[in-house]
Amino acid sequence: MIQVENLHFSYTKVPFIQNMNFAVHSGEIFGFLGPSGAGKSTVQKILTGLIGTYQGNVLVQNREVKHPHKDFYETIGVDFEFPSLYEKLTARENLRFFASLYKKTLPLEPLLESVGLASEADKKVAEYSKGMKSRLNFIKSLVHEPQLLFLDEPTSGLDPSNARLVKDLILEQKAKGRTIILTTHNMFDATELCDRVAFIVDGSIRALDSPRNLIMKRGAHQISYTYQSEGLEHQRNVGLSTTADDMMLQMLIKENHLLSIHSSEPNLNDIFSELTGRRLQ
Amino acid sequence: MRNRALFFGDIRFQWKYGFYFLYLVFTLLYLMILQLLPSAWKPKVAMLLVFSDPAAMGLFFMGAIIQLEKGEHTLQSLSVSPVRSHEYVLSKLFSLGLLATLVALCLATAGKLLDHPMHFILVVFAGSCIFSSIGMMIATKTETLNQFIVATIPMELVINLPAVAYVLGYNHPLMLLHPGCCIMELILFGERMVLASLSLSFWAIGLFLLTIHVVEGFFSTLGGAKK
Ligand SMILES: Nc1ncnc2c1ncn2[C@@H]1O[C@H](COP(=O)(O)OP(=O)(O)OP(=O)(O)O)[C@@H](O)[C@H]1O
Ligand SMILES: [Mg+2]
Repeated sequence: MIQVENLHFSYTKVPFIQNMNFAVHSGEIFGFLGPSGAGKSTVQKILTGLIGTYQGNVLVQNREVKHPHKDFYETIGVDFEFPSLYEKLTARENLRFFASLYKKTLPLEPLLESVGLASEADKKVAEYSKGMKSRLNFIKSLVHEPQLLFLDEPTSGLDPSNARLVKDLILEQKAKGRTIILTTHNMFDATELCDRVAFIVDGSIRALDSPRNLIMKRGAHQISYTYQSEGLEHQRNVGLSTTADDMMLQMLIKENHLLSIHSSEPNLNDIFSELTGRRLQ
Repeated sequence: MRNRALFFGDIRFQWKYGFYFLYLVFTLLYLMILQLLPSAWKPKVAMLLVFSDPAAMGLFFMGAIIQLEKGEHTLQSLSVSPVRSHEYVLSKLFSLGLLATLVALCLATAGKLLDHPMHFILVVFAGSCIFSSIGMMIATKTETLNQFIVATIPMELVINLPAVAYVLGYNHPLMLLHPGCCIMELILFGERMVLASLSLSFWAIGLFLLTIHVVEGFFSTLGGAKK
């Protein structure tokens, strides 16, 4: 679906995006995870043809994105990190206008409903809150049923329940076979949604794998358990691969004396810091 | 299809953002001025008003429209949509041209200028396209509304002064190299209409093509990369 080879780009004379190589497969959710200023949005702009002055090869749907096929833009949907809406038009008017630019469009009412904006659809966007604009911006990228979706921080600025709505819609898109490029600096979202994530720092990719593999590869998996002895609560840790050697654990299990037991693996945040020496947020 | 969608989109935009209202205010103001004038002056003043309001104001309004669009980042959305730069330009010119022509028709009727309506419509529309094109190019090259306003001042002078001079009697044939003078000649139904039509068409088409080129370049910088 997307193939990037030896990508270089900078806004200035100082090198920025350097020697990026990656491929996005059809039907997957591919995440870009990285701190602010890492170059996530820049890469999205290159992939969507908004920046044409890059070096290297960027094939999107088998074609150099600098020279897109004339129907290319019928097939991609882009949600920018900033609202891209006519403030003095209502939400419905905005959607209707953008939908009218495409050959194929979805009915607007269900779309508005899907992000809880149906009852406010006739309000001017200028009167919308940040989160409402963000949700409208999101469904605006879906109106023409694009095969390939670029979402730049679609859940930023949303409260947990609306973030949930949007994440479910993203998963629904994936279930329909769409390919999704998701930019985020939220590692929980990345872990939950992405089939693969690229860690990006200072314009280059530092790691690329499925969240699970990234975690497993590094993760010294541990089990920690607690039990009571002589009136006091004790905690012990043991490596997951050596539980059979832990006689104390065996005994507690046999005697039903465990107070609690859980495994703990590092999260993407820890892995990210370990690999890149940076914190995500 | 897309052309029509863009065109109606632009009209709705101009309506909602108060451009129709502004034009209405100007029209009423100008009509009042015309009413107060002695009837011998009416045609000449009406001409100047037709030229300055719908035609030359287009330059300014077009710029304002694009500055508004820039501020709301909607151009980014358009540039990742199927819309092509020539469609964008065409729709802007036609929507604002329509408005300018309507206003000009009102003024011309009041000023008793409207002997040849079709001819008049064509001339005003072509004029509007010329000025809107210039406004559009300036708007894409300036960052803020203030910069834009400053940049339009010399342009307005270059456009308006020769045209006013032409109406006031300084009408050497070479003046018809200037589109503003052509418009005056054509509205006046002068003796050099063929030359004026040719020159005006040349300007309208040439500036239209140039604008498409400039807007294409402008769209390609929306991602933040220099050309
Ligand atoms: N239009 C632009 N012109 C010049 N420099 C820019 C432009 N947009 C971004 N940059 C610079 O490029 C770098 C990367 O920006 P980018 O927007 O890609 O980061 P990001 O990873 O998306 O960050 P965030 O998480 O804050 O959105 C930053 O240093 C930024 O200053
Ligand atoms: Mg960003």
